[in-house]
Order: sequence, then structure tokens, then C-alpha cells
Amino acid sequence: MAAQTFNSSMQPTDVYGGDEVSAIVLDPGYSSIRAGFAGEDAPKSFVNSHYGLNSQARLVFGDDAIHNPSAGLEIRNPMSKEGIVEDWDTATSLWEYAITSRLTSFKQADPRTNGMNDDNKDLEMQMEVVEGEEKALEEHPLLMTETAWNTTKNREKSIEIAMESWGCPAFWLARNSVMAAFGAGRATALVVDVGASTASVIGIHDGLILKKSVQKSNLGGNWLSSQLRSLFASQDPPLELIPHYMIASKTPVDAGAPPQAVYRKYEKDPSDSFRALEEERVLTEFKESVVQVWSGPGRLNSMNATGSNNLDYARSQPGRVFEFPDGANQMWGVERFTVAEGMWDEKAALPVPNEAPGTKMTIPEMVRASISAVDMDLRAHLLQNIVVTGGTTLVNGFTDRLNNELMAMYPGARIKIQAAGLTAERRFGSWIGGSILGSLGTFHQMWISKAEYQEFGASVVEKRCK
Amino acid sequence: MPPFKDEHILIIAPGSQTTLAQLGLPESFTPASHRFPTRMFPAPDGKTYEPYKIRSRKKEPVINGADVEMGGTGEPKEGDDQELVELPEDDEGAIYPLKEGRIDNMPAFFAFLHHVHNTLSPTLHTPIMLIAQPSWTAKNHEDITAFVFEKFKTPALCIMDSALATSYAFGIANSTIIDVGYEKIDVTAVTDFQISGRGTVPHSGGEAMTKRLVNLLKSKNFTREMAEQLKRSPICEILPPGTPLPGTDAKEEVISNPAAAASTGATSSGPSVRITEPPQIPILDEVADDDEAFDDKQIEDDGVLDVASIVTSGKIQEVLARREKEKAEKEKLKAARKEKRDAEKAEAAAAAARPARLPNSKRPRAIFHYEEIIKDAPDAKRQKTPEPVPAMAANGETAVTGESKPVDAAPAVPEAAPAPVEDEAARREQQKAARKEERRRNREDENPERIRRDIEIGTERFLAADEAYLDAVADTIYRTILSVDDISKRQDAWDALVICGLGSKVRGFKEALLTTLNNRYLVSPSSATMFMSELPSNLATPSGTGSQTPNASFSSTPHAPPTASAVNPLLLAATTASNPALNPNLSVTSYSGTHSHSSHSQSPTSIKVASPPSYFPEWKQYEEAVFLGSQVAAKVIFVVDQGLSKGFLSRVEFNEEGPTAIHQVGLVY
Repeated sequence: MAAQTFNSSMQPTDVYGGDEVSAIVLDPGYSSIRAGFAGEDAPKSFVNSHYGLNSQARLVFGDDAIHNPSAGLEIRNPMSKEGIVEDWDTATSLWEYAITSRLTSFKQADPRTNGMNDDNKDLEMQMEVVEGEEKALEEHPLLMTETAWNTTKNREKSIEIAMESWGCPAFWLARNSVMAAFGAGRATALVVDVGASTASVIGIHDGLILKKSVQKSNLGGNWLSSQLRSLFASQDPPLELIPHYMIASKTPVDAGAPPQAVYRKYEKDPSDSFRALEEERVLTEFKESVVQVWSGPGRLNSMNATGSNNLDYARSQPGRVFEFPDGANQMWGVERFTVAEGMWDEKAALPVPNEAPGTKMTIPEMVRASISAVDMDLRAHLLQNIVVTGGTTLVNGFTDRLNNELMAMYPGARIKIQAAGLTAERRFGSWIGGSILGSLGTFHQMWISKAEYQEFGASVVEKRCK
Repeated sequence: MPPFKDEHILIIAPGSQTTLAQLGLPESFTPASHRFPTRMFPAPDGKTYEPYKIRSRKKEPVINGADVEMGGTGEPKEGDDQELVELPEDDEGAIYPLKEGRIDNMPAFFAFLHHVHNTLSPTLHTPIMLIAQPSWTAKNHEDITAFVFEKFKTPALCIMDSALATSYAFGIANSTIIDVGYEKIDVTAVTDFQISGRGTVPHSGGEAMTKRLVNLLKSKNFTREMAEQLKRSPICEILPPGTPLPGTDAKEEVISNPAAAASTGATSSGPSVRITEPPQIPILDEVADDDEAFDDKQIEDDGVLDVASIVTSGKIQEVLARREKEKAEKEKLKAARKEKRDAEKAEAAAAAARPARLPNSKRPRAIFHYEEIIKDAPDAKRQKTPEPVPAMAANGETAVTGESKPVDAAPAVPEAAPAPVEDEAARREQQKAARKEERRRNREDENPERIRRDIEIGTERFLAADEAYLDAVADTIYRTILSVDDISKRQDAWDALVICGLGSKVRGFKEALLTTLNNRYLVSPSSATMFMSELPSNLATPSGTGSQTPNASFSSTPHAPPTASAVNPLLLAATTASNPALNPNLSVTSYSGTHSHSSHSQSPTSIKVASPPSYFPEWKQYEEAVFLGSQVAAKVIFVVDQGLSKGFLSRVEFNEEGPTAIHQVGLVY
């Protein structure tokens, strides 16, 4: 597949479709689905991966629908904890929603498209129209991303859906880590991707994944959330996490004082999964405004150059106040550092059953394992091109700490971290890479066309998209 | 390309129910000159669409002048003894191309755009500013672009998001637009005049309130139309959450400011809620009097001049004369324009005259004057002799509860009303009757018969939007603002809420929504930071000080002065700068980013409603600020900027790049 590198100067002979039809880039993840047109700088469609199942067994999608406490929703997620698809039927509908809600409509209501095949008999025409209504993407090639550890079966399923259910004229399946590297303008890079369900470190060379370098662990956003829950539970008195929907009104109280809120009553209490989803929103806000990674040098629990403990220093730092939905508020001092320390130092992780990080699972250790798994000649190159992406890397101080850890780990090596400054670029790194790739003229020759799919079947994806 | 002129710009702002349109920008921006019901009807050929209901009926010898049918665009196809007539008032079988803002039926929507375009008949050198609903997909934009350039031959097109247009009207770079529409509420967070967060409350908007009223009043045989009128009447009110319904709760909390509390119905409902607001009587007045803007059904009366159809129907003289007359009458009766709902008006006047009287929100029951339009069977519709009203009242289709009163009967004034009010009401009633007569004469083709009935409504009238409804809206606002990537801009968005859309006119809605937001989301300055000074994070919002945060931030004159009660963090920082020990925040060291990331902080520390611009004398009501904003934007994009910033898509660009080029344009600051 070396011929398919993207610095190919060869002009494509058979350009697909022409420029006016832009490809759709679909980047599904555990927490959200990003979809948009290739060539644009941000995904037009951003949809929560969680969906609701109401009492009539109907599915509801999208943030606008799933946060309704009185709808009796059971909240689920079609993705597994590893960020790969588990429930294909729902995932398909969910992705369809992501595409049709903001990008393109299902119904080919435009009369001009109907008028194009005027030679056909009426019956045929009608059938065409019916098909057009069912297939959302007949006009658009689809570029989808996947994790590096996606299974063969899943990959084949992806192309089946794209070709059979959606009627895509062309398809490509790209690794999200490769896309993140492209998004940062690198074809060779070490991608540190910390998302919601997983954290991964993957070496990429010339646009291809180095299989041996793939490292992943669960130390992502969800893990951080459970650390937070553990932190709240360890407070004295234990801090109960009350999501917004349970509060009718709150009253300002002194820091640390018990909350005084008027609670909302529901005829039927929303399900536990709904509550978990809503609690997660509070935790997200907490992560945004309070949590901080100890930025180093050294670990939080280690001594620093002056001989004092970093922890003591962190303690002296001003804290941050967070007000919970029920009005309870308190100052978070050193806790806001300790809660994220487990990502870097497995011994510092707060005790959470079944989620204790192994020794090889912290981010510095994953980088070490990944680097040592690749060819000696490549290592320096990778260390100079470290791409940081994923929403959880937005936690304050993340890149500083990564830099400090790597400097300590590889003294003498040139280490350069590439982390997008804009929030959107960091969160949507792999989508943006897909957008760039999908709009490249040279990429047009790489698409798996419908004809190819029909000739070789679903296994073509395994041969073509390495 | 010659420069565009003000008078050539065509603005179309479609909504699910009503579409606003105007050709040309006036010197001082005005509310839309044209209002179209956003609906089309299937044409008799089954493929195309017509703007008016078309029915075939037995041909009648045309009676002279009386036939003022507004038709004509529909090129009536003559059968043998059948002819097709257009019924501009009839909405049976109507297709509404937009559903919850989404384009539900694209061909019908195109036909509708065509109809609007024809009606306004702009010149060829007319750039078009089309206001898009937030829910339109990218493909929608492309299809519309292709349609507009191919059909209208326009030299330039700009498609602008309605929320963005509203933010232009207010001239606020960071704001949150809450557009209460017909069946949905769109929430859009705008930062730096760019859309940075979107949310929608499905199945909400004004229609959901109507439906709820219908449900609540099922036992009284309320129809949708009745509920709709009730919703628009001033006795329908949404009370801030936590307010006890009158009559249901004996325990009254101590009210410190009786006038203010009484007018909003807000006692100290929640401990943190203290809405201090001037008495609402003037507002109530307005509500009663601008039914024009509110009442979509009255569009035909409101100055929509369907030029094309008049010309084609060949009755120019007559129509013009009629319109002249109407206009004159309008001038004359400007003050009495309110009289369509005179009884409510009277009630309002009564309230104004006697502030001591119990306000609506305290009364367990209130009288609602339902005005019913009785239509004859469609076939007999065009009979030319208006019958005396009482007769019509007798054959009313639905005789529900209570007695139905003919129009000319004595006005129904709430029992407690004193004599002067009654007099005034009676006078208005007379005026109304006179005008009604006039209008009836003018619209013989429709021949509507109106009767009024008084219906006593209990506390159901306060329940048009229940807590779940307000919660859903509040949650969507919260979620939308929190989805803004730039954390430092979130507070700015909280500080400039714009509640617009006709659905927001329901009395008390805005206040109730703000109370809900304040109750649930307002972050109070913590006692832990009172002397710690989260200085940098609070810089943007120095008003959020002290324990009494501006709960009363909403008032009819927004931007209440910030309450300066507690320690000002800036002051503290200044005074302790020389003595670090006093202020731990400034102490020791400025190591590694802990300070520089201080933009991280929770929002909202205050919630405010943006104040509307005061320099547009023609604009009194800002529910349709989107149209004001679209005029501002059109002026900027087409006239001032002339395309330098790629604010619009020109014909040349369209020809070169196709419809997808529409995504590349738009003003970016």
C-alpha cells in the first residue's frame, strides 16, 4: 500500500464524481459522533452517542431528545467500552440521524433529481424514488473512521452498511489515529489520543499504523469520571452527586454547608441510566472548570528539586470552587490535582473497584511501550511528532505534564508535542484529518467504489484499507 | 456588477406559520411590510402548489363589484359549468412546508418561495437575503441556493441563520437566542457573531401551549381555536415556578413589595427568587393591542397587498379604493386598533385604572371572551347578503357552555368592574361594532360571522406551560451554552439572553423562564472565594458579587444596575497587592499555568436578558427582531460591504462553483 501514500504526485485518472459532491466524513466515538462534509473545518453535525429507549421501545437520538426526565428513557450506548461498535442496528440508525439531522435529507424531495431519468418507465421511476427515500447517502462518498483495534468483522459490517443500507457510491475506512495525525499535518507521528472510553498511544508512519506500537488503556474521560465519583464519595460527609434535573431551585449556601434545594418530583423516577447520563454532564462541567493535571516536573507525590514534596506545593496553590446543581459548593484544593494523577502514576489513582490502572496503563508507560515497539530509526522521528488529541486531553495541564514526563523519560531526545490550541480542533482532531483527507484530489483514486464492493464483497475493505 | 441599492434588497424570513418579507430597506428599519401564511395548497392538477385553497364550484353569474376575490395567480381553469375559485381565508387541506422549522416538503416550500417572490415582484437586480431556520440541513441550503439562482435569476443570495440575524438586531456579539416558534423552541448560542452552539426543544413552542390548554379544558369542550385565543388573551399567564395557583393555596407569603409581587405573581417563591419588576399593566396593554403581530390568522387584514393577484384579477381600481378606505380608517382608528379584543382591553384598562384590584394572577377565575367565526358551509360561502349578526349567532356551530353573545350586545365586563370602565368598554365596543360592520362589508367574499362568548376559566389558564415544559427549555439553554467551546465566552452568552419569537409573547413566559434558569443554574459566589478572589475568572462579570446576585436581573428595563454589596474582587486585589499575606491568591509564585488557565470557571454567575436596541423608532416589539436583524445584515452585506468579505454568494460564483459554494460565504469577523 505504499503506492497510496498521500504525497503521490500522480494525478488521478478517474476522478470520482467531480468536485461539487463532497464526501461525508463520519467519526463515531464513545461519547459523540462527528459528521460533516469533507473540506470543512469543523463537523456540522455533533451528536451524543448515547441514545434513549422510551417505554414504547422507540429510540430517540440526539441531545435535544435524550435529556427529557419525564420521557421514561433508558439510556444506552451502541459502542463498547473499547470504542468499537457493539450494537450495529442502533449504531446505524444513530449515524443516520447524525447525517440526516444536519447534513443531508433522506427524502430526495428535490424535483430536479426526479426529472433526470425521464426516459425510464413510470414504474421504474417510482421505484427509483422509493429507493432514494431510503438511502440517505446516494450522492455522497463516505469516509468513516475506526479505532486501531477494530475487528475484521466490524470493518466488513461498516462497508456493508455504507454500501447496502445507505447506497454510498464510494467508501473508505480510516483509522482515527491516522486521521488525527493528518489533522495535525503529520503523516508520521506518535498519536496520544485520550477520549471518553479509551486512551491510546499509536505510532504512525507514512499514514499507516505501526501495529506493534498500538497501546491502549481505559484511562480516558470515563475513568476520570469514576475517579471523581470516588473522590466525592470519600469526602466527609460523602458528597452526593445530584444532577440538574432533580433540582427545582437551589439556594446559595456557605461553602461546605449542606445543600438547601427544592427537589423536583417526578411521577415516575427516571431510570438509573438516565441519571448516570445526567450526572456525567455535571462531571464534565467539573472537569472543565476544576480538574487540573499536576503539570510537573515530577510526579505529584514525588520530591521536587528544592527537596519539598510536590503535593505540599500543590496544596499551597489556590483552590477552585465548584457549585453543584443542588447548590452545595466547596473549595477544591489539592484534590483537583490528585484526581487526575492516576493517569500518570498508577499508584496515585483513587480506589475504584475493577478500574485500578495496571502498571503499564498510564499514559507515560503507554508512550514508552509504544516507542520501544517501533524500529530504532523511527523513534526519534516519532518523539518529534507527538500529536495530542481527544477531548480528555483538554484537562488543564495535560500537555505540560506529558511534555515533562517525556523529557524525564527520554533525556536528550528532542521532544515536540503538537496539541491544537483550539478546543474544537482538539476534540475533533480525527474528524478534521478525515475532512482533509476526503477533500484531497489525490485521495479520489483510493475510494472503494460500489463496483469494487459488488465484485469483491465486504472483504475488500480488509484488502484496501490497511 | 453595479452596487446594490437599499430599495432593491429582498428579504424573506420564513417561519413555520408566518413568513415575513419585504422588498427594499427603508430609511429607518421597519417591521416587515408583508406577512404571508407559510402554507401552500395542492393545485387541482395534483402536481403543483397554489398559495390559496382552490375549490371548484358551480359557476355563477358574476355579480358586479361585489366579487373582490383576490385570486388570479392560479389561472383558473374553466370547466363547462365549473369554475375554480380561490379561497384566501380557507386553510383546509393546507400544506405547511415547514415543520418545527425543518423543511418538510421541499417542492411546496419552493412553490411558496416562488409565490412570495412573485407577490413582491422585485427587479432583476435584486439581491435576496433569506433567513434560514437553525434546523435546516446543509443540503437544504444547497437546494435552496440552486433554486433561487435558477428560478429567480437573482444576482446575489445570502442565506443567514435566523438566530444570527436576531443577534444582529441586538448588535451583541455574544448572546443566546431563544426563539420560541410555532412548534419548537430553538436555542442558539452565538459568540463573536458566529454560531457556536445549538439546541432545540422539540414539540414545544406556542403550539404546545395551545395543545396543553386544549387538554386541560377538555371538560369545557374547548376547541383548538378557543385555546389559541385564550392563550393570546391577557388572562392566560405563565406563573413563575413555585407560585401557588390562586385559590388553591391559602398560605400567602409575606410580600415586601405588594405592587411588584402582585403584578408578576411572584411572591418569594423560591428562596433565591426575587423578581422585582415594575407593575405589568402597561405591558398587558401592549399585549392586548398588538394582536396584529401576534395573530397569524389576521394576516389578510394587515396590509398584505397581493399585487400580482389584484392586477391579474383586473379589479385594480376597486381594490385600491377599498384599500384606501381601509387605510384611512386605520389611521382614524389608530387608538381603537386594539378593539379586536376590546373586552380584554377593557379589562386591561380596568386593571390600569384600579391597580388595587386583584391582578389576574391572584384571581382563581377569570372571564375569557371567545370570539368565534362562524362559517357557512363552503358552498354557500359566497352568498352576497350579509345577514344580521344575531341571526348568525343563533345558528352558531358550536354552542358550548354558557350563553353565546352576539357581537353588538352589551360588553361583558368582569363583574367587579366599576362604572367608568364599563363606559369605556362600551364605547370601544361600539367602535368595534362599527369597524366590524365595515370590515364585513369589505370582505363579502369571506363573510365571516363573529360571535363572542364569555367563558369563565379557572386556574387552567396558568398552566399553558407547566414545569416540565419550562425545565426542558431551561435545560436546553443550559446545555447549549455549555456546549460553547470557548469557556470564557459562556458567561457572556448568559448575560445576553434574547427571548424572541411570537410564542414568547404569552404573558409571563419570559419571566417564568428566567426564574427557572435562575432557580436551577445560577452559580452564586461562594463564601469560600469571597476573600480569595477568583479574580481573572470573574473579570468578565464583575457584577456577580455578593450573596445577593442579581436575581432580579430581568425587568422590563433590563440591565438592572449591578448590586454592589459584597467585596469587589478587583478592589480586594488592589488593596492586598502590597501585602501578599492578605491575599493568598497573589502569593508566592506564578508557577506553571495555574493562574493563566483561570478562564476556567463555572457559569452562569449571572443571567441577564439583553436589552433591545433603542435606535429603531419603528420597532416597539422585539419578538420579531429576526426581521430587524435581517435588515441590518442585508444593509451590511449587500450595501456597505458589497461582497468584499464574501458575505453573499454572487451569480458568477454560483455558476462557477455550484450550490455548495453557499457554505463558503457569510460574514466572518
